[in-house]
Amino acid sequence: MDIVLQQIVNAISLGGIYALLALGLAVVFSIVSLINFAHGELMTVAGYGMFFAAAVSLPFPFAVCAAVLFAVIAALLTERFAFRPMRKADATGLLLTSFAVSAILRVIFQNGISARPKPVPLPSGFAGVIDLGVLHVGIVPLLSIVMTALSLVALTLFLNRTTLGKAMRAAAEDFQVLRLMGIKANRVIAVAFAVSGALAGIAAVLWIAQRGSVDPLMGFVPVLKAFVAAVIGGLGSLTGAVAGGFALGILEVLFQAFLPDAALPFRDAFVLGFVILILIWRPDGLIPAPAARRS
Amino acid sequence: MKNFRFTVLAGAMSLAGLTTGAFAEDVTIGLATAQTGGLAYADQPSLAGFKMAVDEINAAGGLGGKYKIVLDIKDTRTDTAATVQAAQELVADGVKVMITPCDADPSIAAGQISQPAQIPTLTFCGTTPTITEAVGDYMFGTYPADNGQAALLADYAASKGYKNIYILKSPDSAYTLRLPEYFEEVFKKKGGAIVGEGTYTMGQQDFAAEVTKIKAMNPQPDAIMTAAYEPDFPAFLQQLRGAGVAAPVIGSDGIDSPTITGLGAIANGIVHTTAGSPVAGSKLAAFYDKFKEKTGAAPETVYVATGYEIPYILDAAVKAAGSVDGPALRDALANLKDVEVLTGKVTYAGTNRMPIRDITIVEIEDGKRKPILTAMPDPADVPKP
Repeated sequence: MDIVLQQIVNAISLGGIYALLALGLAVVFSIVSLINFAHGELMTVAGYGMFFAAAVSLPFPFAVCAAVLFAVIAALLTERFAFRPMRKADATGLLLTSFAVSAILRVIFQNGISARPKPVPLPSGFAGVIDLGVLHVGIVPLLSIVMTALSLVALTLFLNRTTLGKAMRAAAEDFQVLRLMGIKANRVIAVAFAVSGALAGIAAVLWIAQRGSVDPLMGFVPVLKAFVAAVIGGLGSLTGAVAGGFALGILEVLFQAFLPDAALPFRDAFVLGFVILILIWRPDGLIPAPAARRS
Repeated sequence: MKNFRFTVLAGAMSLAGLTTGAFAEDVTIGLATAQTGGLAYADQPSLAGFKMAVDEINAAGGLGGKYKIVLDIKDTRTDTAATVQAAQELVADGVKVMITPCDADPSIAAGQISQPAQIPTLTFCGTTPTITEAVGDYMFGTYPADNGQAALLADYAASKGYKNIYILKSPDSAYTLRLPEYFEEVFKKKGGAIVGEGTYTMGQQDFAAEVTKIKAMNPQPDAIMTAAYEPDFPAFLQQLRGAGVAAPVIGSDGIDSPTITGLGAIANGIVHTTAGSPVAGSKLAAFYDKFKEKTGAAPETVYVATGYEIPYILDAAVKAAGSVDGPALRDALANLKDVEVLTGKVTYAGTNRMPIRDITIVEIEDGKRKPILTAMPDPADVPKP
């Protein structure tokens, strides 16, 4: 029994990270219809932020702040110099732009920093286990559950209680009307990218806490997972992204934990097969976006 | 006027051609290696070492004392199709020797282009022992092969008194799959048992499910063996130690990098095989110093040294062959015996062109690698590829 509980904790912790990643994609998609495949590279930037902070021996909480800050700045820079000039382009043009940004950033990391992974050691206190009766929860998974919950609460408050947040929600529903109300488009879009960058930064901290190193190609896997999660949830829907992220994380851990050994190498095929079933059942995702913004 | 200019230009060009052609016998080595992408971590340092050796050999008169080396370097971006294309271009350009990336798949793909053209081809640090047989008699390995590493590691594990070992492998590459399987074969022969086996996907972030299974094992395994490398290995280790599993971890040369020692206390006690360890006073240590002096930075991995050794292996073969002619050079390479290199001796004679060479086992302690032993694996132990 306790191994099942244990795996459920693992699933929630992984699902939470996917939820943050998918949210980062969805925030931008809901407003500018761009699937930003450079989102993974924002995570890499955050990871190098942590690495450099550790290299000058900043305490860990500052390293986390540096990571998030780096990701936000990188998101704003890519918006300003790559996506804003392309704003009139169609969805394909935007998509290709995001691939280009991602490729350029990867080569910059590889040739400017190192082709090899750089270690990001965690403070020794993180390698522990907390005993909750039958359950032994690692500090890192626990932390990632807590940080995911806090981020989701903060984002909800931001979207519902602040003018900018409300403007973003309005932009997702009808951008033209929002502009007629006198809200500056550039500002709303920049904030969307900043929020997306912050989510990438937080996700990167949790991701790196698990893997212990950062490398130029690190962003590839998470952005794929985020994309799958966002599609399961319903592209462009924020609650959908969270639901999709958790669904994907839970599926992955459950298949890894309970598939027979001989079938384990095909885990991803099982997971993606299940994703197809979900999409047959709900073609627009678990919680679809309002009809106008569907892809 | 236009014609006149053209004549002058053509004349100058033919003159230039004459001068290079008349005074030196050049030999072009083509490198189709991954300077960007997932293999760059190994191919970049290999190339840095390779270039340094080429400069030294050219300063001393060239390969075999008379063939000046010219390099034709192409980036394959860790893409097998791009590797094939680069190999085709190099063959068309008439290179005499080809170097391929640090991995079996692109090396085999490139080798299949160079083999019919009778161009001796060496992989930087592809370690899968089937590379050479998959291509043919012009394909050579240079790095300690997987089955040799596994045999020596299994021998060490048995001598350490380990009885029950857990294995973690990934079917995504020959290295991550076959090396643990070779280990299993030798370890069982030596009386050990494999009490559990996990698989992962390369690039997989989350090892929680695997780690939970290991944590639940009773009794705990004496050790955990894996050929996982970066970034999978640090992720696995981080989560393994995070879950409170204390069993020692043993691995292979893929984790011979500063990333692992940079992980801090959780890296203590890791034992792994490697091509060499720069012990104070060794040839390898002297090379590390020389490299640092020249480039300003000490080598980050042993790949710099193994890359540096390749031109010297070629030099020995060209001396023996007396030419850079394809078939002659192939025969000379295949018959090389006890060539002294930085990390020990390299022998091709009597092998299937994957060299027999010294392998070192090291243990990580407080961010440093401490050599435990250096030896050639017992040929009777080494599993068939």
